[in-house]
Amino acid sequence: MAHGNEQHGHGALTEPKTLPASLQAPEAVAAWRTRALIVAAVAAIASLLFLFGGGADHVMRAYLLGWMMTFSLCGGGLCLLMLQYVSGGKWGLLLRRPLEAMTRTLPLVVILLIPILIFAKKLYLWAAFPTFEAVEEGLKSKLLTEAQAHALNFKRPMLSPMSVIVQMVVVFAIMGAFTYFLNKWSLEREADPERGSQGSYDRWRIKFENLSGIGVLIYVGLLTIVAIDFIMALDVTWYSSVWGLLFLVGQGYVVLAAAVHSAIRLSKYEPMATILRKTEQYDLGKFMLGFVMLNIYLAFAQFLIIWSGNLPEELPWYLNRIRGGWWVICTCDFIFHWVIPFVLLLSKDLKRSKSKMLALTGWMIFARGFDLFWLIEPNFPDAARNLHLSGNLSILAYITVPVAILGIWMAFYLTTLMSRPLVVVNDPHTEEILEPEHAH
Amino acid sequence: MPVKEGTYGLLAEFDTPGALVHATEAARDAGYRRMECYTPYPVEEAAEALGVVRNRVPLLTLMGGIMGLTTAFLMQTWISRWGYPMNFAGRPLFSWPAFIIPTYEWTILFSGLSAAFGMLALNGLPQPYHPLFNAPNFRQGATDHKFFLCLEATDPRFDVNETRAFLEQFHAVSVVEVDL
Repeated sequence: MAHGNEQHGHGALTEPKTLPASLQAPEAVAAWRTRALIVAAVAAIASLLFLFGGGADHVMRAYLLGWMMTFSLCGGGLCLLMLQYVSGGKWGLLLRRPLEAMTRTLPLVVILLIPILIFAKKLYLWAAFPTFEAVEEGLKSKLLTEAQAHALNFKRPMLSPMSVIVQMVVVFAIMGAFTYFLNKWSLEREADPERGSQGSYDRWRIKFENLSGIGVLIYVGLLTIVAIDFIMALDVTWYSSVWGLLFLVGQGYVVLAAAVHSAIRLSKYEPMATILRKTEQYDLGKFMLGFVMLNIYLAFAQFLIIWSGNLPEELPWYLNRIRGGWWVICTCDFIFHWVIPFVLLLSKDLKRSKSKMLALTGWMIFARGFDLFWLIEPNFPDAARNLHLSGNLSILAYITVPVAILGIWMAFYLTTLMSRPLVVVNDPHTEEILEPEHAH
Repeated sequence: MPVKEGTYGLLAEFDTPGALVHATEAARDAGYRRMECYTPYPVEEAAEALGVVRNRVPLLTLMGGIMGLTTAFLMQTWISRWGYPMNFAGRPLFSWPAFIIPTYEWTILFSGLSAAFGMLALNGLPQPYHPLFNAPNFRQGATDHKFFLCLEATDPRFDVNETRAFLEQFHAVSVVEVDL
């Protein structure tokens, strides 16, 4: 049926829009990068005050939080990039370049991991007590409980310094390979001599699909390893089988927020102004709502199962995060992380409004960091069931250190973003996205 | 019940959705509001031209959801706390985490049902009689290959002669007067 292309009056835009001459990222991106670096520098100086003011422990833990955020953005970006190749759809076309830029921050994420590995003894029992003999010593000198000693010995094949390093080499090598091919092919696709033809579209689509399908599957495994080694293992006795999935959905949550935030900010300038339509922004908002729902679903499912089981091996993990002042953080986490995005994203108007979505996506990135704070800090004996500020001001490092790390990451991300045109041309969706939309 | 008599409106028949949308936009510009488009498949531009930008289905869905949420939660609270107070593994009688999943399901169920039945109710369905079925060309074409615009007699701008002249300028296949 001829539908949508009829000529009718009212000055409705019926002609397809044309792409601007330059598809490069606007100059404003360079200014944003400078701003990100300034914020990072200020936050880093504040963090140094905490570091030398006796708050080294908190700085280290906050550093882990910041690193996990950058890993979420980089790895989650890779996962979402592959997902959009597999699923197709116009929303993916809009986010492809920002997501590619996120995946290319991998070298920075690997470098930022090194301090965590060096100072692992401060964070992880598996690093402080790496051998059977060390665990025996720890037991004798009452540094470890029976349960911790048992868990350390039982989990040593996965949780020992050498094993973790090997795992990280494998994880980042595989992620690097996928990042390399996805980014290389993306440029080759644009330079295809037969570009614009159906044959070229199909060939590249199939090529990307074949790599991405298996890639999504492998990535779930890789992410699970990282989430277990660096976050779950902070409490060596505790375990949850939904942990990897919880982080996967959390990454979808934060990456989608960051990518939509990027796209809307870029749409103040060409070329994004031409291609970001309300229709796709609305679709992305609905997609975000899906992640918000799935996130609370899994988080609550984990809680409900442990609450129902009522076992002394598992329950203390939640008690550490609920009692002794943590109830406030726990409640705020629920409100920040779920209630606010959920209630707001129900609104159609909000999903279609650029300024409101900009604010909400920024909020969601903060909320993900807040959630990680609730997951990380109560693992440590000085903080479990004992949230306090007096005499413990260095806990504020949880604000400054992640801001510094994310500032550095953002500068790197914006640099990679500037290195390629923002609009993908050799894709059948480009033409569709230039068509006028129905003004609802 | 008194039998209603008179004219329901004027029905213009078009062969293409483009012509329909054009006529609808012109009618709206001319000040007509009580009008409706009838097409065999959804034509988004027609809804746009009619000025249909909002409906109350989302509100009904939200209200249904809130109703399901409160009903399920309060019902379980009453059952566990007062109706049949039983000791499960030494937990408090008001063990709210256990209530969340049924509450969640009821929220979805009630909002889904409210959306579906709310949509039907707002569309005025079920409707065994509609005056337009009096027009033979509507009966034959509306579900198949024709596009109709009906300007209704209840519109203050409606005048049988003037409105007919107005509609005829769009080269409609036919303009017929429909009885109530």
